[in-house]
Amino acid sequence: MSAARLLPNGFAPLEPFVAFWAADTLSGRDTCRLDSSEEQRLAFYGAAADLAGQAWDYLDGKPLADYGAEDRRLLYLMLSLVHVALAVEVQRDGEAEHASGARRMPITHCHTDPV
Amino acid sequence: MNEHTPSFQRPFDDALKGLGTDPIPAGVYYDPDWYRLEVEAIFRRTWLNVGHVCELPEPGSFFRCELEFANASLIVARGRDGAIRAFHNVCTHRGTQLVGAARGKAATFSCPYHRWTFGNDGQLLSAPDFERFYIDDKASCNLAEASVDVCAGLIFVNLDRRPRQCLREFLGPMGEMIETLPVSRASAWDEYVYEIDANWKVTFDNFQENYHLRFIHKRTNGAPPLETTENPYNYPMGFELFGPHRMNTSPGGSVLDDPPKPLLLQLLGRMAAQFAEEGLTGGAHDRDYFIFFPNLYVFGNPSMHFTHAVLPLSAERSRGVFRFYWNGEPSGARAHLARELALAFAREIHTEDGDVLMKGQKGIGSGALDHFHFQSQEVMCRHLYHSVDRMVRDYLSEKGGAR
Ligand code: FES
Ligand SMILES: [Fe+2]
Repeated sequence: MSAARLLPNGFAPLEPFVAFWAADTLSGRDTCRLDSSEEQRLAFYGAAADLAGQAWDYLDGKPLADYGAEDRRLLYLMLSLVHVALAVEVQRDGEAEHASGARRMPITHCHTDPV
Repeated sequence: MNEHTPSFQRPFDDALKGLGTDPIPAGVYYDPDWYRLEVEAIFRRTWLNVGHVCELPEPGSFFRCELEFANASLIVARGRDGAIRAFHNVCTHRGTQLVGAARGKAATFSCPYHRWTFGNDGQLLSAPDFERFYIDDKASCNLAEASVDVCAGLIFVNLDRRPRQCLREFLGPMGEMIETLPVSRASAWDEYVYEIDANWKVTFDNFQENYHLRFIHKRTNGAPPLETTENPYNYPMGFELFGPHRMNTSPGGSVLDDPPKPLLLQLLGRMAAQFAEEGLTGGAHDRDYFIFFPNLYVFGNPSMHFTHAVLPLSAERSRGVFRFYWNGEPSGARAHLARELALAFAREIHTEDGDVLMKGQKGIGSGALDHFHFQSQEVMCRHLYHSVDRMVRDYLSEKGGAR
């Protein structure tokens, strides 16, 4: 297998999505959603939705302070999936219109962003 | 058309009846002359929420705040003595703006022009070659202060240096109520901001009526079938007025529309379990919107706990600032998820309003209408109109009386 593993054991199917979706800030994750194509969102949603329960259980099993780089990537990926769930399940064919409204309302501060 | 009459009707009390039923003069929502009167009568001499004490965690912490309606820039700073003060961001030598950073920590503020240097308590500390000035009293060169006070952790400023009412008196009983909310103990915040081509009251009114919910928020807030529910328009369960302030009680949570949402429901379930574990559920005000004159909402729900302030930028432009307040860092991954989803879900709803606000302002600003209409369930908007109108008239008669 590849030498540099991006995600914890069991989440290999999500590795192709790390580069685009695992943003470490809230506004970054929001921007991923707003800048993504529908194809990108559906591909990520399709691969990740069924693994989400397992991923959150895994992430909850460790204190945040003990997270390694792989755990953090999985956390950011799963947080990105929150925004994608809203796009795919709630806005659906209205996502383009929603995105233009969301761009007018940027996220300007988030207490969980790394400093 | 009238085959269905919703059975939900809130009986109106006398205070609300006192607001009348007349159509509303449209000019108040776009006329630049009226806008200038509002600035003088209201915004230049009223308490305005500009932040929270958690932004100023230690002596020297400061943030800059722009009040465009008054062409004012303020520095809100915690001094070495721990006290919070607000100063005009204006050097007392020749007026240069001192601080460009949005926030930070500083023991002193130095003017870029000739290096006059002020303490974080506003005192002039040093000025190069000061002997050549014709100033007897150095203290007269301290930074000009604005009034500042805190309620529920929220920082309010007032450009009037001698406010007619202290903050507590101004906020009244609703001020005491919000002191019981988590915002008063918050240590962290998230924020999203928008600027929009709409009069500040057009913007504000959108968030104090539920009539539009089933049309504008179809996807995020649901549109239950008209004939099968008691309250198909999600009208508030009650209204109450407190002087120029008001509150309403939301009928309850969003109804999600038809197509299944397996992932979102799973995430919402985790969010709910987290907030329950943190004790961020229920409470006396979990469905109450506290609406402070002129421009601040505080939602009493302890888990979707946000404030929303709308500032005028011009007669037909305004800026809204949403703030979510939290206590402490997230304790684990699920807490992180809960906070991110709560904010994202609220913003999902809030982003849907922008388009119709701009369309509303276009129409009102065209001058095509002399008047427009508020129905009984838009009574909070009517109350804002009445409060503004009264204060502008009071201001004009004070001015007339002083002549
Ligand atoms: S204007 Fe500030 S020091 Fe001269
Ligand atoms: Fe709305």
